Amino acid sequence: MQADAQATGKAAKRPPETVMRLARMGAFHQSRLSFMRILLRRMQREGWRFERRAFDIDARGVGHAVYAAHGPRHSYSLVAFAHDLPAEKRSDRVIADAWDATFALFDGLPEQADIDRLAANVPLQEAGRISGRELSLSRANRSVRLFEHVVGRLAEGRQPDPETVGHVGYLMRTTAVYGSGKFGAADRDMIADRPEFAAPFQAEMLSVYLTRWFVIELAEHLARARAPGTAVAMAPAMRRRFGIGNSTGLGMAPFLITHPVLINNWIAAREEALARVRSLTRATPEAQQRFRALLARAVQNAAEWQSEHPLQIGKLAALRADLDRLRARVDNGGLDGTRPWDALYRWAEDTLSLEGQEQLVSLVLEPYGDLVDKLSDCMGADEAAAFCIDGAMTVAELRATLQDVYGWALEIDWQAPPAQARCWYVSEEKLEPRLGERFDEPVTAYEQPLSPGRDAARLYADLAGYDPDAPLAELLLALPVHRHMVRRAQIATRFPYAEIRDNTIGADVLPIDMLRAKLSFFGATHFDPRSDRWVRINMYRGAPYPDELAGAAYDDWAYPVLPETAS
Amino acid sequence: MTPSLSEIETLGKRAARGAGLSWGLAEEAGRAARWLSAHGLPGVESLAALLERNDGVSYGALAPVCLETGWRPAGAVICPLVAGAALADRAAAVAGGAVAGIGPVACPVLLAPAAAGVAAATGATLDLAWDNLRLTVGPDAVWLEAGKAARLARPEAAEVRIRIVAEGHGTPCPAGQRPEVTGAEWARLARLAHRTYAPATDASRLAGAGAGLSDND
Repeated sequence: MQADAQATGKAAKRPPETVMRLARMGAFHQSRLSFMRILLRRMQREGWRFERRAFDIDARGVGHAVYAAHGPRHSYSLVAFAHDLPAEKRSDRVIADAWDATFALFDGLPEQADIDRLAANVPLQEAGRISGRELSLSRANRSVRLFEHVVGRLAEGRQPDPETVGHVGYLMRTTAVYGSGKFGAADRDMIADRPEFAAPFQAEMLSVYLTRWFVIELAEHLARARAPGTAVAMAPAMRRRFGIGNSTGLGMAPFLITHPVLINNWIAAREEALARVRSLTRATPEAQQRFRALLARAVQNAAEWQSEHPLQIGKLAALRADLDRLRARVDNGGLDGTRPWDALYRWAEDTLSLEGQEQLVSLVLEPYGDLVDKLSDCMGADEAAAFCIDGAMTVAELRATLQDVYGWALEIDWQAPPAQARCWYVSEEKLEPRLGERFDEPVTAYEQPLSPGRDAARLYADLAGYDPDAPLAELLLALPVHRHMVRRAQIATRFPYAEIRDNTIGADVLPIDMLRAKLSFFGATHFDPRSDRWVRINMYRGAPYPDELAGAAYDDWAYPVLPETAS
Repeated sequence: MTPSLSEIETLGKRAARGAGLSWGLAEEAGRAARWLSAHGLPGVESLAALLERNDGVSYGALAPVCLETGWRPAGAVICPLVAGAALADRAAAVAGGAVAGIGPVACPVLLAPAAAGVAAATGATLDLAWDNLRLTVGPDAVWLEAGKAARLARPEAAEVRIRIVAEGHGTPCPAGQRPEVTGAEWARLARLAHRTYAPATDASRLAGAGAGLSDND
């Protein structure tokens, strides 16, 4: 009887000590709760309208364009500037100073004076200034080979070669998308009360979505300019194969450590979604059918996913094998019992690699939009509210917290060089975040507070000399060096998924794991690491374009269509 | 220029760190500059003046000694960021009237953001008074006597007296403002913040960010 009672109770969320490990975070996949999917669902539900308001670009590809999105209460415009970039200037690094295209997302519909102001600043990116009328600032570089292939083919009156397209997957890759007050843009506080910006990064995701549209139209325009007599537009099914790329370096990694409440809310939403699905007593035939269909498309996704990086090649081989095993399991009655999703997840935990486990987590959410999608409302954060320290907490209470959340760090020998081999710092060159070798480079004096494990261990050691009943207010006045860590620890007690449970400065840390965790929540696919701290991805691959969103299937684009069903 | 509030917070934090404060206190400094700026009060100017004044001064000389009669300096003049953090850490006691006065204190307006933290945590309304000037900070609003804004940026007060009051005094300062900052004020913070940036080397340029491959593909 007792076992039955347990079986009908709600499945627990996975504990942070399981979820918040870098190896697992580095295996996250996009899901229904990814920010791109949240945005497209909203725009489709609310019937947003889209229009190209200006396209003043010459035959060399130089000029500007304006693409507008009209929501129920506000309009937003992507103001795009296209440039003629010499090859030697093309770099995806933050330290670049020229790009193939530059963009701002304008709040409303820009007048000529706005365009003129943006034309004087946006092409300069970090060296220019934007204003409270702008919500984001970004730039993109061409995939040289694919861009030329596509323009050349279209100019000849032919469609691009599917295999060549599939190998790269995008015509341009963004190399930074700045929002939230950067370089003078509107602060998030100023727009956070608009429903369309309640979920995280929606302005940035909108900017990228419109950028993808612009880039396709730019390629078609250049083909027409090259050969007006023969050029053709891209076929709709071919057009969908193009996402927009992104090239991301270390700059994104510290975000996961500097926004603990926000990260908690992202992870907690996904874990709650998983727990809800695992709690279901049975899977209806409809849900099973949907799951099988998406599993087949996930297999296709894994087949199309390419990387030259040895780590990712290994992970992809494991993922493909995992998906085969998962298919066999499901085909042999794996969803027929009670609590089938819970049983399937438990089987996966014992059987599959982390890539496969996390792919399954994303997949089991797919049939259950009604259980899952509203959780997107919980993914924003009021970070200011968590800033205040509770100085009345006692030393003994803090010690217990540190043992609970940072127990893993208290067991590390921080005197051993490998434990502290790395050091996060900011370079004076365009303030690019970098990761240095602590014992080989003169960077320790510039160290950023991005090592919670070590800092928790230092704090814990200093607590030994204190009266257990003393309030933290006393400790902090005497030892201000610990103020940052005490704040983090108090946040971590209230927000279970706030803290990564791994060493972020060890000799074996892989920053790409942090990048992937964040980018997966954006909705990125096709992670292709270029090194241990640099990754290329694809965004919106397969998504309907703005001009076809209204008639497209609802939220059904994130996994590729199967070759036999492609139109 | 009209920096965003997040730019003010980020530069304020880096400048405070560059001037020698711990990261945790530097975070408070960034928040303080942001909070003041958002309420139309002199955040950037006050923080720059304070950090330049205390540049190189040891923490021990900046901290208050908490006495029954009020908070007095361990050195010559109390740092409002250190005292403010200590006030916020004792929110319940402060809201109960436990701290009557703090002084002498540098750039006293920088105590106001901490008072706002106490107000938000406890629901109390705190009245800060110095030099014939009153600034009232409640959980959701800030009030200043009309015509007194120019005095807020004074470099030092003999004492800031703290009273718990039922309502604000003066004119409300609306939140959510985006301030106009002179290039010179911004440069003062930027100069201190620059100390936190590592000089670029060829090695760090190549290895530190992990790229170095050609992007012409």
